[in-house]
Amino acid sequence: MTNEKIIEAKGVIKTYDDSGVPVHAVRGIDYTLMRGEFTAIIGPSGSGKTTFLNVITGLDTPTEGEVWLSGRLLSKMSGNELSDFRRDHIGFVFQAYNLFPVLTVEENVEYIMLLQGVPKEERHSRVMSILEKVGLDDYAQRLPSRLSGGQQQRVAVARAMVSEPSLVIADEPTANLDSKTSGSLLDLMRQLNEDTGMTFLFSTHDEIVMKRAKKLVVLTDGKLDENNPPEEYE
Amino acid sequence: MLPKLAWRNIFRQKRRTVLTLMTMTGGFVLSSLSIGWMNGSYSSIILFFTNNRTGQIQVHHEGYLADQSIYSTIDNFEQVGSILDSLPDVRTWAPRIYTGALLALRPAGQSSNVFSSSAAASVIGIDPTREQEATGFSAQILEGEMLTVSDADTSLSSTGQILLGKELAITLEASVGDSLILLSQTANGAVADKRYVVVGTVSTGNTQIDRRTSYITLLDAQNLFALEGEAHEIAVLSRNLDEVDDLTATISGRLSGRNLETDSWKVFAKEFYNGMKADESSLEVMIFIIVLVAAMGVLNTVLMMVLERRREFGVMKAMGTRPGFIVRMIMLEANIMGFISILLGSIISTAGLLFLSKHGIVLDPPLDYGGAVFREMIASISPDCYWIPAICVMLTATIVSWIPALNAAHTEPAKALRTV
Ligand SMILES: Nc1ncnc2c1ncn2[C@@H]1O[C@H](COP(=O)(O)OP(=O)(O)O)[C@@H](O)[C@H]1O
Ligand SMILES: [Mg+2]
Repeated sequence: MTNEKIIEAKGVIKTYDDSGVPVHAVRGIDYTLMRGEFTAIIGPSGSGKTTFLNVITGLDTPTEGEVWLSGRLLSKMSGNELSDFRRDHIGFVFQAYNLFPVLTVEENVEYIMLLQGVPKEERHSRVMSILEKVGLDDYAQRLPSRLSGGQQQRVAVARAMVSEPSLVIADEPTANLDSKTSGSLLDLMRQLNEDTGMTFLFSTHDEIVMKRAKKLVVLTDGKLDENNPPEEYE
Repeated sequence: MLPKLAWRNIFRQKRRTVLTLMTMTGGFVLSSLSIGWMNGSYSSIILFFTNNRTGQIQVHHEGYLADQSIYSTIDNFEQVGSILDSLPDVRTWAPRIYTGALLALRPAGQSSNVFSSSAAASVIGIDPTREQEATGFSAQILEGEMLTVSDADTSLSSTGQILLGKELAITLEASVGDSLILLSQTANGAVADKRYVVVGTVSTGNTQIDRRTSYITLLDAQNLFALEGEAHEIAVLSRNLDEVDDLTATISGRLSGRNLETDSWKVFAKEFYNGMKADESSLEVMIFIIVLVAAMGVLNTVLMMVLERRREFGVMKAMGTRPGFIVRMIMLEANIMGFISILLGSIISTAGLLFLSKHGIVLDPPLDYGGAVFREMIASISPDCYWIPAICVMLTATIVSWIPALNAAHTEPAKALRTV
C-alpha cells in the first residue's frame, strides 16, 4: 500500500430536499481512501452508503464539503471533464449488474475502451485477458440475458476493471446474489486487488462480504461511527 | 460502436419499433400518393385544357398577345410549320386567324335583305384537318358537322361554311342550314362581307367562349380578310407535358429573327396557370397535416423509449459516457427508423402509384374545372413523389428525437440508478 490518496472527502454533507422535507442522508463525513485498499463501507439500509458513494464519485453533488479524487477537486470540473474523469479513473459495479442488454459480454466489457478510443486489437486482447481472470472467456459472445446473476456480476467486475481505473466502486454488489455466489465474487475481487493493486471501495450489509474486506468503515445515520473506528484485517 | 448500439436498440422493443415504422411509412405513403395523385390531376387538367383548345405552346407575331391586332400576323406560316415539323417533340400544330365581325341572320326562305337578328362575334379561321389532329375539334360539335376541307384545286374558292358557338347560335336564333351574312373589314381596310351557311354548333364547355365565337376555314378567313398565306397564331402540341419549357426554348431559338414570339401555356394562359399554382398550396397544407400527425406518433414512441431506458442512460453516464454520445445515439436510432421507413414507403408507394396511374379514382360528381370536366383522376409518378416525403420523414425523425435525446443525455445517474 502506498501513501497516495485516491479519495479525500472533507466535511461532506448531503441533504435531499426534493419533497420539501429535508432528508439528511450524509451528515458530515471526513474520509480518506488510499491506493490499494480493499475496503467495505458497512451500515444498515438507509444509513447513507449509496448517497456517500454517489457523492464521492461525482454521480451526485454534495450539499456541503469538498471531494478530491486523485488530487482533483470534483466541484471544479465541467460536465464533460467529469464524464471523462469517471471513464478514465473509476470503474463501477452496480447492485443490479446493469449490463447493456443489447451488447454481448465481450462488447459490454469493451464499452469503456471504445469510448476511450483504444485500438481494436488492444481492446480485444484486454477483454479476453480480463474475461479469463473472471472465468468467463468462454462466454464472450453471449448476451447478458443468457448468463446467471453471478456470471453477469463477474462480467460487471470485468467491465469495471478492464481499463485499469485507479478505483473500483461497488454499491452492494452481492445484494442480488446467493451467499455462495457472493462469497466467490468477493474472493475474485480480492484476488484481483491483490494481483493488480487496484483500489476497491464497496458498500454492503452482508456478513460474507464484510469478512473478506481488508478494512471496514461503519456508517450510521449518515456519519462514520466514532465508536467503531475503521478496522483493518490483514 | 454508435451505429451498432443504435441498430440493436431499434430491435429490442419490436412492437414499438413496428409501430413507429408503420407511422413513418404510413406518413411517407400518404404524402407520396397525395403528391402523385395531385400531380396527376394537375397534368390531366393542364393536358385537357391545352390539348382541347390552346396547345401547350403558341407562336405569334411579336407583341400579338399584348395587342391582338389583325395586322400582327405570322408571315408564311407554312414555312414556320415545316420548321415545327422537324422537331421530334412537336406532335402537331394548327394555324389560326382571329378576327371579329358582325353576324346577321337571314332565316331560310326569307328574301335577301331581311335580317331577323345580329350579333358581334369573334371569327376564328381554322384548318379543319390540322385542327382535328391537334385538338380533336369535331368532338366539340354539338349539332351538324365539321367544316369541310377545301379541295386543293379550289383552294381559293370559299366553302361558305360557318360553325357557331352554342350560345351564339341561341343569341342569333340560328340553326343548322340557316344563312348568315358576315360583315367586317379586311386587312387592307376594305369592307368584307360574305354569306355563310351554318353547318353546325360548337360546345367547348366554356360558355364565355361559346357565347361569342364562330369558326370558318382558314382559307375562307385568309380570303375574306385579305391575309393570304398568313395566320395570327400557331398552336403547338407537345408530345410530353414535362418537356414543354425546353421545347418552348427550342422553338424560340429556331424561329429567331422572324419577329415572332414563342410562349408556353404558362404565359399565354397566365390566369389558368396561376389558378393551378394556387391549388398546389392546398397540397402543401395536406402534406403538412400528414407530417404533423405522423410526427406526434413518432414523438410519442421516442418519449416512451427514453423513459423506459432511463436507468440505462444513468449507467452509461455513470461509466463516463458524454451526453453528446447519448444524443447522437437516440437521434441515430430515429433516423435509422426513418431510413427504413423511406425504403418500405418507396416500395409501397410505387405499387400504389402504379395502380392509381392505371385505374385512378372515379369522381362522383365529376369535377368541373374552368369548363373542363373530369370524371376520373389518375396519379402520375414523378421524383416529387419520393424525395419530398423522404425529406419530410428524415426531418421529422430528426426534429422529433431531438428533445427526448437531450432529455436522455441529461439523465442524472444517481437518480436513474435508484429507480428499479
Ligand atoms: N433522492 C432522494 N430523495 C430523498 N431522500 C433520499 C433520496 N435518496 C436517498 N434518500 C434517503 O437518504 C437516506 C440514505 O439513503 P441511501 O444513501 O440509499 O442509504 P443506503 O444506501 O445505506 O441504504 C435514506 O433515508 C433514503 O431514504
Ligand atoms: Mg444503498
